Amino acid sequence: MPAKPKPVEGEKKVFMTGNEVVAWAAAAAGAECMYGYPITPQNEIMHYWTRLAPKFGLIFLQTEDELAAGFTMLGGVLAGRKSFTATAGPGNTLMQEPLSMAEMMRLPAVVVIQQRGGPSTGQVVYSQQEVTLTSLGGNGEGLRVVYSTSSHQDLYDYTIKAFNTAWRYRFPTFVLGDGYQGKMREPVVMYDPELRGVELVPAEPYVGRPGTPGVDRPPAHLRNAYSIEEELYEAVMELVREYEKVAPEIVEHEAFGVDGARVVAVAHGVVFRAVKGVVRELRQQGVPVGYFRPITLRPFPADALRRVAATGVRLLVVESAYGQLARLVKEALSGLPAEVHGLYKPGVLVGQGEIATRIKTLVQGG
Amino acid sequence: MDLDVVEPFFTLRPIKRELEARGLQVVARERHTLGLGETGVPLPAEAKWALRREGDVILDVGYGAYGAQTLNLVEGADRHPDLQVLAVINVARPMTATVEDVVAHVRELGRVDGLINNTHLGEETTVELVQEGARLVTAAARLLGLPVVATSVVKELAPLLGGRDVMGNPVRVLERFMPRAFW
Repeated sequence: MPAKPKPVEGEKKVFMTGNEVVAWAAAAAGAECMYGYPITPQNEIMHYWTRLAPKFGLIFLQTEDELAAGFTMLGGVLAGRKSFTATAGPGNTLMQEPLSMAEMMRLPAVVVIQQRGGPSTGQVVYSQQEVTLTSLGGNGEGLRVVYSTSSHQDLYDYTIKAFNTAWRYRFPTFVLGDGYQGKMREPVVMYDPELRGVELVPAEPYVGRPGTPGVDRPPAHLRNAYSIEEELYEAVMELVREYEKVAPEIVEHEAFGVDGARVVAVAHGVVFRAVKGVVRELRQQGVPVGYFRPITLRPFPADALRRVAATGVRLLVVESAYGQLARLVKEALSGLPAEVHGLYKPGVLVGQGEIATRIKTLVQGG
Repeated sequence: MDLDVVEPFFTLRPIKRELEARGLQVVARERHTLGLGETGVPLPAEAKWALRREGDVILDVGYGAYGAQTLNLVEGADRHPDLQVLAVINVARPMTATVEDVVAHVRELGRVDGLINNTHLGEETTVELVQEGARLVTAAARLLGLPVVATSVVKELAPLLGGRDVMGNPVRVLERFMPRAFW
């Protein structure tokens, strides 16, 4: 049988929507199966995946809802296929149940979230209101990885990385974008990850492995249910220990101008683009301001942020939500006498002008 | 005229007034919708009767899974003598990156009367890229038996291209409003 063609060969600069980027990146990462249920603003991920599918031998299953999409995705993972889904808003709420199972069973599921406005059906366009849900959702301890992207290049790079992280560490992994990132178009460099030295972590089946369980190999013994309290306690504590052990290898952030700054703006996702522009401009004007961007929201780069906060700067958290990122920041800074201010605009983009005004006010002690 | 019924005009809200100030009538819902996305949106009545208007009427049928099918919602679209359906092609988009891809894409759209080479990379567009688009789109048009109506290029690059592209297609100069839209 001839080898399947690679979805992305070499390297090429292209122009496309963020949703399209995700579909190509997943294919480039070696994903084989997408399971999904339509919801705006992520629909085009499914549309483009279904266009790629016949060309590159990929699989797509549309299910009856997000619960089914999540659980069938886990079926794909159990069978040893790199599998993913994409959702948003109320779909993300439903997705938490299968992803909670993935946490319990250490299943390397990959989920792309294109945030929309809430609560409930809200609006279909944009927000950053799924931070808490994506980072800490489900009836568990939030044992998952969440990458927050802020550009199309991020969407490409971190979608590929999400599959590697998931299969290397065996925790469910999210790529957290938003409706603006999904819909807007900008140039992005698509590349074959292996040509850039990115080794693609191979998938392997959890079930149906060769040999007789207990004779040729240990039984798989996959469980998401524990009958008694102490048994569950031991299982959860083992998961927590594993998560905390690998977290330092996963955690990522980006910072600029924090040394000597009087104010450090903290932002993630598409809002970070506005913050970055404002901070760099103010810095050129001599205003003592820096920025801190958590790239992983789970695990959160708490140690790095604590080092910044320990210098006595004032922090300004800027987000299109009512303090969801700020909650993660405040938890990370627990015990430090850090001043945390907020510029919260749930469901709408935060303009550069208002960010600049707040920063200047804070720098001047206001 | 915005005919995208799933994700309509609202992304262009910031530039609607600007377009109107230049004498364009923009037929699109701005805020008064029942819902967007999966809840759908009813077509404004004036969009259904768009082809009865005087002057030039430009219909944006959007993109995505249903392509040009939304034209079915416009009264008389199947028989209006002046209606032209033009497929706007950007070969910097991976789905229309080769002659073969462009041909397949255009065939999926249904009725198409001509192609426009709109190859670009946003602010990173170069003349070489536009000309490469002209070559590929013209080759695809020959296979499809369709004319290339124009190559479009931003006004900043237009002087470098001249009145005709490398394949002899006429050049249309664009002024970009989209950077001021939501996306």
